[in-house]
Amino acid sequence: MGVLTCAAAITYKPLQRVFFRQPIRGDLQSKAEVVISDSAELPRKSRHFHHNTFRFFHTIMSKRKAKDAHLPIGECINQVHQILRKRFCHQQLPDKPEGLEAQHKHLVELLKRTAVHGESNSVLIVGPRGAGKTMLLRSVLRDLSEETEVQKNLLQVHLNGLLQTDDRIALKEITRQLHLENVVGDRVFGSFAENLGFLLDALKKGDRSSSRPVLFVLDEFDLFAHHKNQTLLYNLFDVSQSAQAPLAVVGLTCRLDVLELLEKRVKSRFSHRQIHLLSTLTFSHYLDRVRAQLSLPDGFPDGKFVEEWNAAVTTLCEDKSVVEVLQRHYNSSKDFRSLHMLLMLCLSRVSVAKPAITPADLLDASRLCVADAKANMLHGLSILELCLIIAMKHLNDVYEGEPFNLQMVHNEFKKFLQRKSSSLYNFEQPVIMKAFEHLQQLELIRPADSSSAKTQREYQLMRLMLDHGQIMEALQKYPQCPTDIKQWAMSAFA
Amino acid sequence: MHQSAENETCAPAKSYPRKVVFSICAHIQQREMSPPEPVFVTPAGGGSEQSWMAGLLEHPGYDEERLRRVSEQLSCREVQAGLLLSLMGQPQQYCYPSLFIYGHRASGKSHVVNVFMKDLELPHVTVSCVECVSVALLFEKVLRSFFGCDAASLLPRSPSLSDFVRIYRQQSSQSPAKQTRYIVMEKAELLRDADVNLLPALLRLQELVKDNVSVILLSEIVWDKFRPNTGCFEPLLLHFPDYSKGELQQILSTDRHPSYSAEFYSSYINILLGVFYPVCRDLRELRHLAALNFSKFCEPVAAGKVKEMDTHKLWKNIEPHLKKAMQTVYLREVSSLQWEQMEEHESGALRGLSAHTHVELPYYSKFLLIAAYLASYNPARTDKRFFLKHHGKIRKTNFLKKNEKTSNHLLGPKPFPLDRLLAVFYSVVDSRVAPTASIFSQISSLVTLQLLTLVSHDDQLDTPKYKCAVSLDFISAISRTVNFDIVKYLYDFL
Amino acid sequence: MATSSFSRGCFVFKPSAKKKKMAVGLERYFTHGCEGSESSEVRFKICLDLWNKVKMETEALQDELNRNILDSLLEFTRKCSSTRDHSDWASQMRASEIPTAALVLGVNVPDHDMTFQSLSDLLRHSVTPHVASLQAKECAALKHLMKRVLERLMSTVVAVGDEEEEELQQTDTELQKSVHCSLTALCDWYISKTKKSSCSTPGKKRSSSVVDGQHQQPPVVIIFKDLEAFNPRVLQDFILICSRYIQRLPLMFIFGIATSPSTIQHMLPNSVSSLLCIELFQSLSCTQHLTTVIDKLILTSSFPFKLSGKVMQVLVSIFLYHDFSVRNFIKGLQLALLEHFHSQPLSSLCCRKNEARLNVQQLGPADLERIRQLPSFKRYLKEQEEQDNLMTDDAHLKDLCQKLIKDLHKYHKNYYPILRCLHCLTSSLPRYPLGKQIRELHLICLEKNVWESEDYQSAMKLLKMLAKDELISLLQTCAEVLQPVRSKKMKNALVQLEELLAKLKLLDAAAEVGPSVEENLTSPVRNLQKKTDLFQLQKMLLEMNESRRSKRMSPFEILRNEAVEFVDSLVKNHLSPPESKPLYEVCYYTSSATVRRHLNATPRTSIQAALSSPYSYIQELKERGNDRRMGSDSVLVVLVDQNQAVYCGVKFTLRLSANNSLKTEDGTVSNAAPDICIAYKLHLECGRLINLYDWLEAYSTVVSAAEGSNPDSDGFGKVDEVKHARFIRAVSELEFLGFIKATRKKTDHVARLTWGGC
Repeated sequence: MGVLTCAAAITYKPLQRVFFRQPIRGDLQSKAEVVISDSAELPRKSRHFHHNTFRFFHTIMSKRKAKDAHLPIGECINQVHQILRKRFCHQQLPDKPEGLEAQHKHLVELLKRTAVHGESNSVLIVGPRGAGKTMLLRSVLRDLSEETEVQKNLLQVHLNGLLQTDDRIALKEITRQLHLENVVGDRVFGSFAENLGFLLDALKKGDRSSSRPVLFVLDEFDLFAHHKNQTLLYNLFDVSQSAQAPLAVVGLTCRLDVLELLEKRVKSRFSHRQIHLLSTLTFSHYLDRVRAQLSLPDGFPDGKFVEEWNAAVTTLCEDKSVVEVLQRHYNSSKDFRSLHMLLMLCLSRVSVAKPAITPADLLDASRLCVADAKANMLHGLSILELCLIIAMKHLNDVYEGEPFNLQMVHNEFKKFLQRKSSSLYNFEQPVIMKAFEHLQQLELIRPADSSSAKTQREYQLMRLMLDHGQIMEALQKYPQCPTDIKQWAMSAFA
Repeated sequence: MHQSAENETCAPAKSYPRKVVFSICAHIQQREMSPPEPVFVTPAGGGSEQSWMAGLLEHPGYDEERLRRVSEQLSCREVQAGLLLSLMGQPQQYCYPSLFIYGHRASGKSHVVNVFMKDLELPHVTVSCVECVSVALLFEKVLRSFFGCDAASLLPRSPSLSDFVRIYRQQSSQSPAKQTRYIVMEKAELLRDADVNLLPALLRLQELVKDNVSVILLSEIVWDKFRPNTGCFEPLLLHFPDYSKGELQQILSTDRHPSYSAEFYSSYINILLGVFYPVCRDLRELRHLAALNFSKFCEPVAAGKVKEMDTHKLWKNIEPHLKKAMQTVYLREVSSLQWEQMEEHESGALRGLSAHTHVELPYYSKFLLIAAYLASYNPARTDKRFFLKHHGKIRKTNFLKKNEKTSNHLLGPKPFPLDRLLAVFYSVVDSRVAPTASIFSQISSLVTLQLLTLVSHDDQLDTPKYKCAVSLDFISAISRTVNFDIVKYLYDFL
Repeated sequence: MATSSFSRGCFVFKPSAKKKKMAVGLERYFTHGCEGSESSEVRFKICLDLWNKVKMETEALQDELNRNILDSLLEFTRKCSSTRDHSDWASQMRASEIPTAALVLGVNVPDHDMTFQSLSDLLRHSVTPHVASLQAKECAALKHLMKRVLERLMSTVVAVGDEEEEELQQTDTELQKSVHCSLTALCDWYISKTKKSSCSTPGKKRSSSVVDGQHQQPPVVIIFKDLEAFNPRVLQDFILICSRYIQRLPLMFIFGIATSPSTIQHMLPNSVSSLLCIELFQSLSCTQHLTTVIDKLILTSSFPFKLSGKVMQVLVSIFLYHDFSVRNFIKGLQLALLEHFHSQPLSSLCCRKNEARLNVQQLGPADLERIRQLPSFKRYLKEQEEQDNLMTDDAHLKDLCQKLIKDLHKYHKNYYPILRCLHCLTSSLPRYPLGKQIRELHLICLEKNVWESEDYQSAMKLLKMLAKDELISLLQTCAEVLQPVRSKKMKNALVQLEELLAKLKLLDAAAEVGPSVEENLTSPVRNLQKKTDLFQLQKMLLEMNESRRSKRMSPFEILRNEAVEFVDSLVKNHLSPPESKPLYEVCYYTSSATVRRHLNATPRTSIQAALSSPYSYIQELKERGNDRRMGSDSVLVVLVDQNQAVYCGVKFTLRLSANNSLKTEDGTVSNAAPDICIAYKLHLECGRLINLYDWLEAYSTVVSAAEGSNPDSDGFGKVDEVKHARFIRAVSELEFLGFIKATRKKTDHVARLTWGGC
């Protein structure tokens, strides 16, 4: 029932608020800019306002589409880039979490219980990289923040395992985000727990004895598990269990085995609540997602252009070759990020000259994405270096992957030269050495043991970091590759 | 080797004109087949393609005049530059959070990027990771060049990543980015040696600081070697392929000597490439070589013996000279200064660095070194045979095992304990030597001279292990001075 | 290379500002317990200024020797800094390289410091104020290297920005602002600096006067003193960084290389070394250096103090066999000097002639008695007839001493010129019968009468076969050697030589019969050069003599024989060994054993001696203690120089009373010996691994035997706490001395680190 009311709230409240503002606003064009102007770093409150105005304008403009003027094509393209880039590069939130509705609902429930009824909770959001963990959380928070009581009640602390690399820093950050620096002043605390406790107490409001609920968001949760004694985690979970203060701990991680990382005492305090984002979306959904990602919102100033564009996108997604490319991508990874990368590459080709994404663009983009970097690098090697690599390959074949040193490789190479008796590639040892060094620099070969400085360079044991296929592929692509070298590479016996 | 070198020198003299023709037509092919790299597809849609092949970058949001100036500086890199520009998009639009540009040394990575940054006057900072001995330097530099010195001064001593991000955030909230800010990091491979979190954090910096910033990483090493084991935000990969022979020709021909005609110089470059291209494709190296050998090349012309057009004679004149350069200049055995001086007064006898291998050592040090060499290249069990007066009738045949056919000089030196060294020493040195302190100190000083290397930890009580770090010809030179025939004592040469 | 430690004497000459006051204290130290302390002040004074003279000489020599290489180096730096702002096509093309001087100095690392010192001084004076020199041990990591460079150049405090520097930051005063440790900081500093200096600071007029052209852009020189010891990784990174700034900052490097330039190739990968423009500089070899030093210090009559053949031999062999360090050679000389003046009471006469006269007058009865006891003096007396009054009459003796000292000085005055003559005659002969180096010849002469030796004979024979032109040139060089010497003997020797030369010259002006004869005479010598084995040579000589006897001698041959005879006579007169001269002990320091013990210590052997036969040490201690009238600790000081370990060895012997019952028939363990000795002897009998318990048992039996408890009592050989404690102590001492060590393999066993045994 609570759900219903708040759902109503979502639809109802903002609208009226907007209506009140409506008369103050200028003409549409300016509004369009207001909407589009980057809302990322505005404070949450006003962002939420913006978001709603945004929606609101859609409705209005769909009404007025008939009489709104055509923008010049350049302007349109500009807008397209603006919007889509924000989507692909800046992870701008979609209006509704597609594909994750269940998790979204669950999380909203959970957090609301903390925010409104002051229950403590702890939950882990687990999913592969780019699966939309952060997006889910952020959209949940956005929706929560539309409730006034949540808004004025809930405090948020965002920590990131990449930044807060130990608990001392983390604690400082917490203090800062709770705006308690002046309260703490230069007080010294015996223990971490004491310090945290003090912070939470400091949040107690004057009138009520209940302290405000706090939401802790731990991004890269697994990194926090590497801190000394996992003090932070222990204390957070501990507080969240014992009802000292209403506290919700949300951890985001890409590690399925994250629980194994936790110490026993920490694990026992964690409510084993996990939300998994193992996306089970089918290819058809994937196609829809692509379309959704590419298509323009109907808030776009030039309605006609939008129609054309979106039509073009739909046709694109039905194109035969495109579909199979996407199929390949779908098989490799279903997450948002890789998709965004792909689409970004396509988008970058859109210009005034060609105001639409053609299948060719998508093909090229995918080719860029799946290109084998090592093969690319091999293409740039000199013939001498290539010869050395082939020699190494033979050595690997003969001694089944035992490490080798420069002397052996040179020896192998000499054997080849003697067989060919072509003095064309007959180089001094130092020249060979230089080529060898270059290969090492490119990390196509890598020292077998760590003690590299100790031994002479020509005797340092190395391993080849390429496999048979890569070498052969590179040989095929290699410009003006001499045939005898090709044959040598092909020859099974060294 | 020598005679082969000779017939090499005479062979191309006949085949020379053919060579020129061939390489030139190769050059033409290169220009025509529009994608030199199958991975690298020129964008479909005629107009833009024309513009790119014409080398004219065009993109809305930038000043045409500047773009023209830029594209003049980026010869043979139009495709990559165009792609990069289109990815960067208009100044105020978002760019992908992190780009990773890889390609061989001197394939124009940092050149292209820096030209963009400078001439388009984008807000940027360029950092070479070699210089960042501590992360503090990196942070300080970034903040200073984005927000000015006072922002940099906010950093605490030995700042953490979280401090950096915090300060960045508050600064950028005061002055939000009107244009995309770029952080260019050269030699990015060194980031892996820095703090573990640094690289992943940089890759998603945009998201962390909530600012329109994007990080461009430049490296010679493929991205696969960067990826941390728990994965991270994947950057957008861009490959800069190596210059084709034709492109090298074109580029090198641009910096011609003022007092000679362009085609004369380009024919010279053509010959140069003919010699060095199989070994080295590094533009910088080639440029260096070209600069050093040109005066020699145009010597006969200056003397008036040969016409500028008579390429055949010129080839005959320069070719052996270039061969010599291959062994000396290319390896930096002789400095460029010396090389030129040698050209002035025609003294063919020019000794490179590695020619001076002679080292004056005290008498006993010599024998210690010899003993070390024997100890590290002979199997321990053969000492009996070499150093005992009456070792019975041990023939090589029956103390040589079949599996040891791979010679020790291929495998390199083996470590040996101090006792063995001394034992061998006392048996090779002719007079009887008191084990004085100075004998031991000589051993340790041989270590500091890096003629020996200490492989195990340096503790006199725990018998230390050493390796001999000198080459065979070095040691045989040493042993000649004390007329000791070392080859008789080497297991490999029995 | 060889760390040579000295007995207390050497601390006298620690270079110190307040010499006066130091000297007094040290003089007391010197005189305290040296032989014949009555004349010690005089001797100390003489010793001191002799040493100062030596020091000055050597330093002058050093600069002299380094001059040309340093000059070329300076030239290089100037050229680099000047070509930088040239704008011709070629130099633009290589503008990106860092000019680098590879300075090859040889393996005698101890000698390098002086060279680098003078080098950096020269650079500061004449090329650039910005010079920083680095040592490997202070540059463990890149940031330390940077820190050092910046500090040395800018003379400010540099913040590296990590913890261990932090407290340093708090400590140092804030008036020097700490700079960030990056080359950009250096660049800014440099630009500001050059701006200032360009508007003519008075500070470096010298430099601006010397090199006005590029003084606007004086190069920044960074000296890597010991390249081999640097960590390659660090060096590479540093070079990479520098190469990024080379356009803004005129850097240049100087690599101090001990072994050979190819180490650069070994240390740096080509991608890095391609950033350098390396020029090579070879310093002259240390053997040449030594020869010059010997030439200036030893083979001259200006220093009254002389080394005997043996001592000389020791010093030279230490140089040639162990370390090529000239500095250590000088130190050896210093030691000998000190020991001589310290131990030889009559060394008060070892000074310049007229001072010696005075000192003779000062001689006390004791000294005179000593003189009478001198073996050389006795020998002299035997030759003289009237001795009685000499033995009694002091005045007479003094007069005689005057004379003898005078003769000694004369002897030296003549000895060295003739030595040089002989050397320059024989050094060019095939197969160097008298040695290539003059020091070898000198050694021969010091040992015995040269002219009685085989080699001398053969040398003379060879001389008798010289062709005319060779002979003339050699004689001329001899004449040049004799020229400056001012003593009447040498003067008329010179005269005779001139006459001979004149005759020879006349000869070819006169009868032209010569050539044909000379041809067939010169040829054998020529092809003698090729002959290598002695037998061949002798045969050749013989048949030549035959041939000569057969035919009548040409006038040239007569002259030649005359010349050789003349040389021979000179040698016989002047090159007699010093032992033959009376009172030579005054000037010659003879005890080579002391020098060897101090400079070429053998710690292991002396430890083992101390442990296996403690009585010898105790004897030594006792007698030293007696005649020196000193506490035993000072005896320890004497022994300390061998090794810290010996110290311990001796300490334990001291701990026991010095009863002489330690002497045993060899092999068996003397049960009265100190614990450590017993433990040592016992451990010699064990194998690679020693069971501690068995060891303890054996030990306790031995000790209880020492206590004289009767063997058949049941308490015999029981292990009580005291014995146990003593045993443990002994074992731990052995471990400290490095004879045994604990093993991980077996807990109750220890491993032997020495092999052999009884």
